[in-house]
Amino acid sequence: MAELLSALFTWFVFPGFIFLLLCTWAFDWLDRRIIARFHGRVGPPWFQPLADWIKLLAKEDILSTGINERLAAILPMLSFAMVLAASLYIPVAGYTAAAFEGDLIVVLFLLSMPALAYFLAGWISGGAYGIMGGNRALLQYFSYEVPFLMAMVGPAILGNSWSISQIAQQQTGTLWYAFVQPVGFILAIIGLIGKLKRDPLDIPKAKSEVVGGSLTEYSGRKLVLWHLTMEMQAVLGIFLLINTFLGGAITAMVGLNILLFFLMAMVILLSLSTASVIYARLRIDQLAYLGWRVFAPLALLQIAFVVWMGG
Amino acid sequence: MSKVTIPIGPQHPLLKEPVAFTLTADGEQIVDSALRMGYVHRGIERLAQDRSYTQITYLVERVCGICSHVHTTTYCQGVEALLGLDVPPRGLYLRALLCELERIHSHLLWLGVLAKNVGLDTLFMYAWRDREIVLDIMEELSGGRVSHAVNIVGGVRIDLDEAQHQMVVEQLNRLAGRVHKHLNIVLHERTIKARTQNIGYLSAEQMREYCVVGPVARASGIDMDLRRDLPRPPYTELDFDVITHTDGDVWARTVVRVEETLVSLKLCQDILAKLPDGPVAAKAKRRVPTGEVVSRFEAPRGEVVYYIRSNGTDKPERLKIRTPTLTALITLPIQLQGVALADVSVVLSGVDLCIACADR
Repeated sequence: MAELLSALFTWFVFPGFIFLLLCTWAFDWLDRRIIARFHGRVGPPWFQPLADWIKLLAKEDILSTGINERLAAILPMLSFAMVLAASLYIPVAGYTAAAFEGDLIVVLFLLSMPALAYFLAGWISGGAYGIMGGNRALLQYFSYEVPFLMAMVGPAILGNSWSISQIAQQQTGTLWYAFVQPVGFILAIIGLIGKLKRDPLDIPKAKSEVVGGSLTEYSGRKLVLWHLTMEMQAVLGIFLLINTFLGGAITAMVGLNILLFFLMAMVILLSLSTASVIYARLRIDQLAYLGWRVFAPLALLQIAFVVWMGG
Repeated sequence: MSKVTIPIGPQHPLLKEPVAFTLTADGEQIVDSALRMGYVHRGIERLAQDRSYTQITYLVERVCGICSHVHTTTYCQGVEALLGLDVPPRGLYLRALLCELERIHSHLLWLGVLAKNVGLDTLFMYAWRDREIVLDIMEELSGGRVSHAVNIVGGVRIDLDEAQHQMVVEQLNRLAGRVHKHLNIVLHERTIKARTQNIGYLSAEQMREYCVVGPVARASGIDMDLRRDLPRPPYTELDFDVITHTDGDVWARTVVRVEETLVSLKLCQDILAKLPDGPVAAKAKRRVPTGEVVSRFEAPRGEVVYYIRSNGTDKPERLKIRTPTLTALITLPIQLQGVALADVSVVLSGVDLCIACADR
């Protein structure tokens, strides 16, 4: 009984669903606030993300005629489920709901599936902007995903494991992998920006180009689920980077771990916000060029360096 | 992938102006585009025939929401020529001051729109924040932020006192520092260059062929500016550069406009320094002698032409307005040919459309 309770606690409270939801809320608000301050604006109050979710939940759920209703309803739920499933394997300051050898690959797979669902959502939506946005999402996926995956291989090789908790554990007492392979770390952050479709890689949902992209035709509960998926993906992406590149913030002192973990999360969030503030949006062909001609070779070099160092 | 027809406008997040484009895209590339306008036609030229010369001043101010002052300036200039009226120098200087402030306002607003369209929200926020300085100055001077109602036939209806003079000089100095920063961003930020260079290109020959005017033409190397080429006081007594660029793409237009903002800032300072004393307006007769006149002025977007024909009454027989946007508008199908869908909004904002002007 106690075992079951403890399992339920880790799944649903910490570091599970409720904790993640609170993190999503906090990170979303902080992100908007930081960007607003960069812009010289005030930014939204602390309850704004929650207010947005409630507002969207209360709104009428409209679908355009001819759309496959079941698919349109399943896609956001599936994406959200994938992201939640991935959260089980990503440790928070050493605490994890589940772990096994090879969970890094599962997490990377689970985190990349929403991009495909996003494409499909645009494709079936029936609107021109949805189709264009979906196409772009898929093209963008091919551009950032390969360098991102290759950047993730580095820590796995150095840590000699495919388990996220193992990789994090390996870095205690030694130099964090972000310092051993800075190029890989930067590429991972760029890949994360592409994955989250944030500025300057918000190509699939660029408002001045394709209106709302894939989600143009969606509203109400489906839209809020899509937004939650994206925002939670941001939180998980940041947590993943902390574990693979910054040692998972594991120190000898338990109380300090959580503090350090959130400090690192803030630093990564700040770098994401800064990137979105200082760059103009790239065009999809420019991103494809960068992804394949610059990022992928750099990631390969990084892996070669890691193999040489490890061997 | 088969060709997709993408409607843009008249209400659209991509383009805030009430004009409609029908784009045909092959994948990401635009292969065809069609233009439809007339959504904000208000029949201002016809309305003008039923109003007295005094009333028309306030009517033509409504032609445009951004360059409202330059329309009344061009109109009053024409009527004054018909009347043979000499406007006092102080009146002309104050008119020019408002014109230059309006140019700064227009160019900053435009810079914000472009930045928004290339996805650099920061520059958008900065440009629009700094535009507030100009709007505040204009409010202080005239009481209105957008429609100033400053011009009357025969001069202006406002005057500057010492405190206002001081305030305007200080605020303009503050603004100059900000605009230098914008110029720095536009000249050196690589992602802006990546998004604006080599798109929307038009050669100097094409510019002449389509009679394009203003910053768009100057960005293709056509050295023309009515403030210099058709000199009237106070521009005859002021020293300023005409900014040109040779690249002819959206980036060149951006650079031209931001540098022009700096030129205008300097012009404002010069105007304030040389502001002569005396009255600001001369008394104008209500009835205008028979005759016709073409009045031209350099608006923020280029040359504005007013044709006025009078028949000796207090109402004009015909008032014809030609705005700079119209000529730039007809080049858009050429500019859009072959660009990526992502660049459409950038190309469209590059010419600084003012559909309210073009439709009238």
